[in-house]
Amino acid sequence: MKLQGVQQTKWMGVLVFALAILVFPFIVTQSFYLTQATFAGIYAIIAIGLGLLMGYAGQISLGQAAFYGIGAYTTSVLTATMGWSPWVSLPIALLFPGLLAFIMGYTMSRLSGYYLAMATLALGIIVHTLLVEWRGVTKGASGFFGIPQLNLFGYTINQGIPYYYLVWFFVIIVLILSLNIVHSRVGRALRSIHDSEIASSSMGVNTSKYKMQIFILSAMFAGLAGWLFAHMSYSISPAAFTFDASILFLAMVVLGGSGSVWGALIGTLLIRMVGIVVHMLGEKFPFITSDFEHVIYGLILMLVVIFLPRGLFPTVADWFDALLTKRSSKKSMLKLAAKR
Amino acid sequence: MGDLLQFTLTGVTIGSIYAIVALGFVTIYSVTKVINLAQGEFVMLGGLTMYSLTSAGVPYLLGFVITIIVVSILGWIMEYLLIRRAKGADPISLIILTIGTAIFIRGIASVVWGKDQLRVAPFTENTPVNIANATITPQAIWVVVIMLLVVFLLYILIDKTMVGKAFQASSVNPLAARLMGISPKRMSSLSFTLSAALGALAGLAIAPIMFPSYDMGTMLGIKGFSAAILGGLGSAPGAVIGGLLIGLLESLGAGYISSGMKDAITFSAILLILLIRPSGILGEKSVGKGGL
Repeated sequence: MKLQGVQQTKWMGVLVFALAILVFPFIVTQSFYLTQATFAGIYAIIAIGLGLLMGYAGQISLGQAAFYGIGAYTTSVLTATMGWSPWVSLPIALLFPGLLAFIMGYTMSRLSGYYLAMATLALGIIVHTLLVEWRGVTKGASGFFGIPQLNLFGYTINQGIPYYYLVWFFVIIVLILSLNIVHSRVGRALRSIHDSEIASSSMGVNTSKYKMQIFILSAMFAGLAGWLFAHMSYSISPAAFTFDASILFLAMVVLGGSGSVWGALIGTLLIRMVGIVVHMLGEKFPFITSDFEHVIYGLILMLVVIFLPRGLFPTVADWFDALLTKRSSKKSMLKLAAKR
Repeated sequence: MGDLLQFTLTGVTIGSIYAIVALGFVTIYSVTKVINLAQGEFVMLGGLTMYSLTSAGVPYLLGFVITIIVVSILGWIMEYLLIRRAKGADPISLIILTIGTAIFIRGIASVVWGKDQLRVAPFTENTPVNIANATITPQAIWVVVIMLLVVFLLYILIDKTMVGKAFQASSVNPLAARLMGISPKRMSSLSFTLSAALGALAGLAIAPIMFPSYDMGTMLGIKGFSAAILGGLGSAPGAVIGGLLIGLLESLGAGYISSGMKDAITFSAILLILLIRPSGILGEKSVGKGGL
């Protein structure tokens, strides 16, 4: 039964998307683009989690890179220093960021608005500083070397096509999981929190519980991304987990549209494409440096907030919907006219 | 004992800068309820504009005035082009808008001024002075003096003038203020201009000590934001207390524990204070509640 106004997961979309991912390496064969696409997948996992947090729970996180970093460093220390198998360290790399988010959420539950933004910002800076300074464990600013590659059934998943598929396999899982959450009772409760926390709590929605759960989930997604990032690269350094990284994740979500899981995914892809285009232009015109990237990210954030407050994806999706319904209503009108 | 005095002096100096930046946050927030995360970028622009002017041979005092005017105009432009258009957006969007502005300004600055740290001459001759086993540079004294001056002038402006009354009125109740013939739009624009000027002033004061570069604004903005939050958003005395507290935490943490860990120590302390007082040290209970 289909209820009026209840959104359901459009499996067609997921299927088409999965197919596009499957054929991408056959169409684009340069290893540069494949690496970029793999990175895009890693970022997409974080962006989807952040999108759930922002668009559905109405919370902001200015420190998402902290969870990403903790995931990456947890697995690095467990595998390279302590010799665990990466597959065993995966649950731990999810658990630690989740646990931190739980503690954060629990202690900071009295904070809201700008104060919460401040708290997440502080968390990001604290974690980054610890990654740099706790040299005994993290090896400091120079970075952590010798992270083992992933092995599956005796087959090494090395950088390139195998890792691309692995990352996007996880992206699809995260995507399906998120779409299902969004279209479930929990998702509707979350959306009501986003619209009006007071109204939804007076309707009997346990707002703090849902907000906490989604915060933990977004942290675990970031941890998963960190795990993928660590085992893709032979080495990691704290420079990848800065405030700027947190802002970049924010930009991805805002560009795509925080009220939609697909939006976060599309936003990630677009932001990565901007990076690639700037990089390519920079090779042709020496005056275009990597700083241009930041100018453009800044510009995107400003323009999106002013002109597309809901983000790119929901706006475009509505255009299409409007276009389609107009067509179909015209058709049905014609049919009616013909019958007469 | 000498150490403690030295760390305290350093802490008060840097804390004064944070306090000025935090006052910029408070000025904008109290009128528009916007947190302007590009506030640190005004500081950076202040320092770098002064560098360009002095190296172009403009006299020091004239350069000082021109810098403040230029950055104030930029603040006005920012309000006019961005904030006014996004009126009514929710706090998350506004945070993102000002972060976008900050990144944009920083990117432009890195193209214009390059990535090196630049040297700006101090206000007066800068021979360190010895006070009971601790040294302090005249520029550091200037920084503190400027902070006190800013606090005093802001107090006069807000509490003793008609403009200040209009400012307070549109902060308390924009609609009622409008009915009384005050234009909240004009006040919003004034608040951005004023806090850009404050940022520029902070930049001018800190430039000879910190050697400005295109990326100095991020951390200063974050610390100023923390100071404003710590003091209680919207409270000017809170901003000053917050700023000095963060400056002291930072310099004592760097001195006694580890200079690399200073940011972690400072922000852990901030989290701890927020845990005990969720609306800041001098914040009212309702401030910042129900926003996001």
